[in-house]
Amino acid sequence: GRRPSMPPVERDVRGGIPECFSHISMAKRIPLSQAHKDVHPAVLVIGQQMATFALKDSISRLRATLLAFRKVIEPYETPKGNSLSRHFVPHVLNPQIEYLTECRPMCFAMGNAIRLLKAKVNKFDIDTPEDEAKEGLLEWIDFLINERITLAEYVIAQNAAQSINDGDTIVTYGRHRLVEKTLLGAKKIGKSFDVTIIDDPYELGGQELATVLREAGIDVVYSPNLGGLRPKVAAASNLFLGGEAIFANGALQAPSGTADVAMAAMNAGAKVIVLCETINFDRERVSVDALTYNEIDPERCTAESFRLLFDNTHDKYITGVITEFEFGGGNSPAQAI
Amino acid sequence: MAPSQPSHTPNLDKLIKSLRVQSLEASIESLIFLLKRRQVKGDECARATAQILRQVVAKSKWHDVDQLLSRVQSAGLRLTQAAPHEPVIGNIVRRVLGLIRDEACEDRNADDLGSEAASDIQSLAPTAPPPQKPALVPIRPAPSILTTGLQVSKSMFNLLSVADPGDTPMTGASTPMSQAQPASVHALRSEVMDGIEEILDEIHQADDQIASFADIQIHPGDYVLVYQPSRTVEKFLIKAASKRRFTVIIGSLDPPSPSATEAPYAALRKKLNAAGVQTINLASNGLMAYIPRVNKVIFGAKAVYQNGGLLVDSGSCIAAHAAHEYLKPVIVLCGVYKFCPEDPSDEVSQGALGNPSSFVSYGNGQAVNGLEIENTVTDYIPPELVDVYLTNLGPQTRHHLASILADHYKTEDIGFSFQLGEP
Repeated sequence: GRRPSMPPVERDVRGGIPECFSHISMAKRIPLSQAHKDVHPAVLVIGQQMATFALKDSISRLRATLLAFRKVIEPYETPKGNSLSRHFVPHVLNPQIEYLTECRPMCFAMGNAIRLLKAKVNKFDIDTPEDEAKEGLLEWIDFLINERITLAEYVIAQNAAQSINDGDTIVTYGRHRLVEKTLLGAKKIGKSFDVTIIDDPYELGGQELATVLREAGIDVVYSPNLGGLRPKVAAASNLFLGGEAIFANGALQAPSGTADVAMAAMNAGAKVIVLCETINFDRERVSVDALTYNEIDPERCTAESFRLLFDNTHDKYITGVITEFEFGGGNSPAQAI
Repeated sequence: MAPSQPSHTPNLDKLIKSLRVQSLEASIESLIFLLKRRQVKGDECARATAQILRQVVAKSKWHDVDQLLSRVQSAGLRLTQAAPHEPVIGNIVRRVLGLIRDEACEDRNADDLGSEAASDIQSLAPTAPPPQKPALVPIRPAPSILTTGLQVSKSMFNLLSVADPGDTPMTGASTPMSQAQPASVHALRSEVMDGIEEILDEIHQADDQIASFADIQIHPGDYVLVYQPSRTVEKFLIKAASKRRFTVIIGSLDPPSPSATEAPYAALRKKLNAAGVQTINLASNGLMAYIPRVNKVIFGAKAVYQNGGLLVDSGSCIAAHAAHEYLKPVIVLCGVYKFCPEDPSDEVSQGALGNPSSFVSYGNGQAVNGLEIENTVTDYIPPELVDVYLTNLGPQTRHHLASILADHYKTEDIGFSFQLGEP
């Protein structure tokens, strides 16, 4: 992994953050002994994994969170004189959420799912029998994982693979699960195309992607950094990007560097296609630049180096978004839901 | 190629020290060696070229201006071919060629005015075309071959000599020269060498002169993004830090190698911090995330082309594009000697490729097998992304580049690189 085991991070780690970025939050490791006593062990584990970025992208974090919540719901028993719909959220669910947020700010997909979960709980009648309510919640979680994560991934990869034409040159940035699935799927259905991977030298996910694609027999050009970006994207027909979130104004939040690649590709006349599950869409918040919603890389927050995890791609640099429901227009994410 | 000596790696300073004792040919060869191994690169190329051409003027055998020109041309040509990715070399060669032409012109004029024997018409003839005239002609790459330059100078001699039109240019040129030769060759040699000395001074002082404009460009409270700061940029920032409180955000293309003992730009940051200027070292390739916070972007150029486009170390292009997107000014620091009187070639705009092995280990057969790795080391930045060219002669915009070029190069030398004769 890219993050070797490290000594516990000191408390005043935020001291290294320059004043102008001090409003941006950062993941932090909380010693297990300091966690709230109500936090479920399954949640403790994923909290640590999120703080250390073992669980990194929004969808794997969401999936892990939902599965952990399942474990929280299963043994839950409503105290006497209370009902599940009144007691569960404030006394059981919220401490879990607080802990997770403290470990690493929640991604937008987690925020969406938790909002849906709370709404679901609130809909139960006070008189609903506990077993029935728990059963309903567990089913609903399974349904969410199936529909919005597993199936969504499958459908998006399939749709995106269909959109690749023979002879295309596909550019991608770093390594994203959906892009990888799409390219492998397109190869499987017999499309012939080649891929240019532009990597982030601080992450090196692109190298892993290059190896995977090579093994599948896809021609790959690998660029270790953003140098020479313009001539590289000029030869491309499509740029495929994965995203962490899409805001109500159509802006894409994605790993730092994505916006530079998208802009260069759009200016060079390539189509910029974003692959994104609808659970990542935020219909309420708007982000005009990368300093509105972002995170500081806790491993690179010293006097020697500083790094933001994400950047913000303006919707004018996005040709289209492929979601599980339709091939949407990049500037109307709200309609895609 | 000469064997490398691990005990003392060759470098430019050692070469310059050895110039006195080495033969001319050996000096040229060792510079070519350094250029090919990229042990002399970037700004050093200019200094190295001027030093070698100085040796050419001093040591090589020549009896008239034409011979000197062709000696300089052929030495310059070899250097340029050794490092086609360093356009600065060609610039210095052109400057020296122009210098020789100027000095030769002055000599002729002086001689001619001195000789009372010449008739009125004859004495008027040489003064009629002002010596600077070729420089004022609009810049246009001469689609010529090597001889063009020579022909121009010969026709000048024709004017100077008591020419009957029937004479061949050669005799026309040689007749008056044969009389005054020993003295004039000697004078020309020392004048040209003085001129090259001036060019060396200009190269040497350029960074400081550029830095003297720092406090005009950088304002209190600014967030200045510098991309892979070169020595020129470092001097500029340090100078600004002596007068202003601002924040420097340092971007670079690649993470420092694991073997590096020092954090990147530690020395620069120490100096800036000591002056009360905050520094932020970005560990990031993408810059769009930070640009909203930035007031201006500053980087150095390897060369500036006639159209205003830049040859830069790879990556600065990202900074320029991001700044352009957010309408932040892009300030490029470059000495006037980096201005090339030609347009960028296709290879330039594609970017040059460098060694990929630092990114992907060749031991990892699985990853390398069938994988094409492109590590671009230079970038081309189109002129529309640049707001200010800050030179040792002050800030310029691309609309005034033509007049700067006209001041520094002679039309007959502009085609120098075309004369290289593609192999």
